[in-house]
Amino acid sequence: MEPASLAGLILLVGIALMIALSVPIAVAIGLSAIFATVALLGFEGATLASSQRMFTGINSFPLLAIPFFVLAGVLMNNGGIAGRLIDAAKVLVGRTPGSLAQTNVVANAMFGAVSGAAVAAAAAVGTVMEPRQRKEGYDRAFSAAVNAASAPAGMLIPPSNTFIVYSLVSSTSIAALFMAGVGPGLVWTAACMLVVLLYVRKHPELRKTDRVQLRQGLVVLWKAVPSLLMIVIVIGGILSGFFTATESAAIAVVYCLVLGFAYRMLKVSELPRMLLDAGRTTAIVMLLVGVSSALSWVMSFARIPELISEGMLGVTDNSTIILIMMMVILLLVGTFMDPTPAILIFTPIFLPIVAEFGISPIHFGTMIVYNLCVGVITPPVGNVLFVSARVAGLRLEPVIAKIVPFLVALIGGLFVVVFVPELSTWLPTQMGLVD
Amino acid sequence: MLALKKFLDRSLAAVCVVLFALLVVIVVWQVFARQVISDPSTWSEEAARYTFVWLGFFASALVFSERGHIAVDFVVRKLPGLVQRVIAVLVQALIIAFALIGLVWGGLRAAQGAWDTNLTALPTQIGVMYLVMPITGVLITVYALYHVVAVLRGAELAVAPTDDAEAI
Amino acid sequence: GGAGTAGGDGGSGTTMRLALNQTEEHPSYTALENFGERFSETTGGRWAIDVFPNETLGAQQEALQLVGDGTVDMAIVSGTQLENLNEDFLVFNLPEVFDSVEHQMSVVHDEKIVGDLYASLEESNGVTVLGGLTQGSRSIYTTSGPVETPADLAGQKLRVQESDLHVAMAEAMGASATPMAFGELYTGLQSGVVDAAENNEVSYFTQKHFEVAPYWSSTNHLVGLDYLVVNTDRLAEMSQEDRAALDAEWTAAHEEHTELWASATEDAIAEAEAGGATFSEVDEEAFSAALEPLADQFIESDTQQTLFDAARAAAE
Ligand code: NA
Ligand code: NA
Repeated sequence: MEPASLAGLILLVGIALMIALSVPIAVAIGLSAIFATVALLGFEGATLASSQRMFTGINSFPLLAIPFFVLAGVLMNNGGIAGRLIDAAKVLVGRTPGSLAQTNVVANAMFGAVSGAAVAAAAAVGTVMEPRQRKEGYDRAFSAAVNAASAPAGMLIPPSNTFIVYSLVSSTSIAALFMAGVGPGLVWTAACMLVVLLYVRKHPELRKTDRVQLRQGLVVLWKAVPSLLMIVIVIGGILSGFFTATESAAIAVVYCLVLGFAYRMLKVSELPRMLLDAGRTTAIVMLLVGVSSALSWVMSFARIPELISEGMLGVTDNSTIILIMMMVILLLVGTFMDPTPAILIFTPIFLPIVAEFGISPIHFGTMIVYNLCVGVITPPVGNVLFVSARVAGLRLEPVIAKIVPFLVALIGGLFVVVFVPELSTWLPTQMGLVD
Repeated sequence: MLALKKFLDRSLAAVCVVLFALLVVIVVWQVFARQVISDPSTWSEEAARYTFVWLGFFASALVFSERGHIAVDFVVRKLPGLVQRVIAVLVQALIIAFALIGLVWGGLRAAQGAWDTNLTALPTQIGVMYLVMPITGVLITVYALYHVVAVLRGAELAVAPTDDAEAI
Repeated sequence: GGAGTAGGDGGSGTTMRLALNQTEEHPSYTALENFGERFSETTGGRWAIDVFPNETLGAQQEALQLVGDGTVDMAIVSGTQLENLNEDFLVFNLPEVFDSVEHQMSVVHDEKIVGDLYASLEESNGVTVLGGLTQGSRSIYTTSGPVETPADLAGQKLRVQESDLHVAMAEAMGASATPMAFGELYTGLQSGVVDAAENNEVSYFTQKHFEVAPYWSSTNHLVGLDYLVVNTDRLAEMSQEDRAALDAEWTAAHEEHTELWASATEDAIAEAEAGGATFSEVDEEAFSAALEPLADQFIESDTQQTLFDAARAAAE
């Protein structure tokens, strides 16, 4: 067997087998990458090359935004922000039918505008919303499904750690990707609101609306302003040239500290625990980034992306068919893999192919992130789904049944994101972030 | 062995907290130096990057201590208890292989190769920075051995309980 | 060993992997591809060179280490990378040491001047330097308006690479030195995190920096240089005849590269101008005078001084 084919086989079988055996994904990728490199270079060369990649893959200033955004999220969670955002969401959508479920959807989107991850939103917002919805007669599995389905919007709405990872592997501007994520994030939120609307049509008892007095409503909104200001600091800071994306994330940390202390929700003695919390989440991502860097090195070395690209282009040169093929592959991958490792593995393979069709890396970024976000709410592996079920005190099966209509609507949204590039590129283009 | 694990956990946690706090301070200083006192820092970016790498590796070892790295266990959960335990030991063995080959041996090779290569802004060598890999590798090996013993003794479940770990 | 058998060319020779940080559109890629093809032809397929662009085998620092180890056979690395291993290389990284690309190429391929320097990493790091590819004359470009003298740069944040020399150089030219990752520079210039940057015309155009910093001022303060490094053991494996072929083809390669560079520079200027950039001259003497003390400040050893003097002597 040719060394390149052997390396490819080791990667494919090694990663799949080890993941199935419940080996941590990072170790499955790292060990397979090392063994594939051994097949090409022998033991000495392989260990040097792979280890060097693991180190240098993490040694990146733009990547540093991730620990800061994670830390800012932890500080916000402990700083009493979820309650304020939920109250504000209630004011905004209280008049729509099924107002409590709609409030959950919008609160998750707003939470997404201040944090970079989805699990935290699902846990914080779900914990508050589930008991309220139960009291008003909502089906518990449905309200858990609403919460799960709407939380991933935060990974598309800036700031987004997922886009930082993509920006790293695709060499695209973080600022442009952040702006590109706004449209698809709103599509995601709208898809969820639509499903809720259709659901309450069949359940007239849930059509209740919450009318809030104007004056009272303004007070509630005002209270949420300092929290929502975080997105202004981050995006405004980057666009005005006060700081780079990474620096903006560090400033966001400082801002959350100031806010948390001002609200008297943070104690200095609790900071070490929060730093450690954020450190753990960061480490999980960093190890994945490191080993994926070793993986993409050996794939380039064996020229595997070119082989896959030639293979796909050999089947058809119709860009629509190839895009659909990619999206189906990513949806399947997403059912059992988190967005980060999937982005790290598939971007280097797919991006050169879509580039041949003139699709911009920014647009491909929103496609791949939106697509893989669907996976965080699908079984068998879907963290946001799991967390939502758990905070509602439910087993998975009933929630899975209720999430199906959301999946249908969200995949409909994926078509829009894939085939309407302007949805992603318009905003960054208007802001002069892409040509 | 439990005492050793607890000692390592506490020490690592302390180091991670300090490195993370330092990271925030360095980058905030970078903004302050450039935007407020108009004297851009020439060392902060490099310092931040390497602090981050050290934090990432050390915190990663700590997550191995908690069996917290993301894994897909829905297949293994369906298997009989004895098979689960065999697989749990095999998983830890693979983690040890990764730690010893990729982090300890490979890290030492990389450190040796870059031992004389100076950093551009900081007064040390790239090889010294690479030492975080072998150190982390040894820590992960110790933790994995601990888990093997704990699973065999029945002190730990073969499949770690699900937690909220996610790769964001 | 890192070399595989050359399957694609149908021969049974050895394929050497060459790590390059530039894209397939860059003059370096074209010149190196042609270099590989000619070398394969003249050796009757006994050798081939496979160029890996876009940093796929690693950024320059890692690529250099992999060449030393023999995992990769050849790499294009910057002077800064070599300076980190042997400080004598600093001399060719200094501003004002070369007057022009032609002057630079004549110095860095003059065996009498660079012979010892290029062999100096063989024992310690396992790499041999074959020579250099010019990265062109570098100038300053700004967001606000053209620059004539160092005084015009006062208070402007000039992006530099993160090194003592570049920081000192920016400050000597009157600016406020701001190290920043190259990938962040476009957004940095656009948003005003920095006001100015310095580079060659080709990067200025291909990185689209002219869109956000349209004022190019030809300070020509530094002529950039990349080196071709080869694994020393791999070179030793070559027969005398093949080694001679390698050297001959390399000479042809860097000569071709210099021509490609000149036309790429002309094209870049024309296209940037069409895109709204303005190119203006500066008071070169004022900049030279400001930069002159740097050589004294950074040269520390006799070897460095000897190299510097030899390089300057070749200018007259
Ligand atoms: Na977000
Ligand atoms: Na899933």
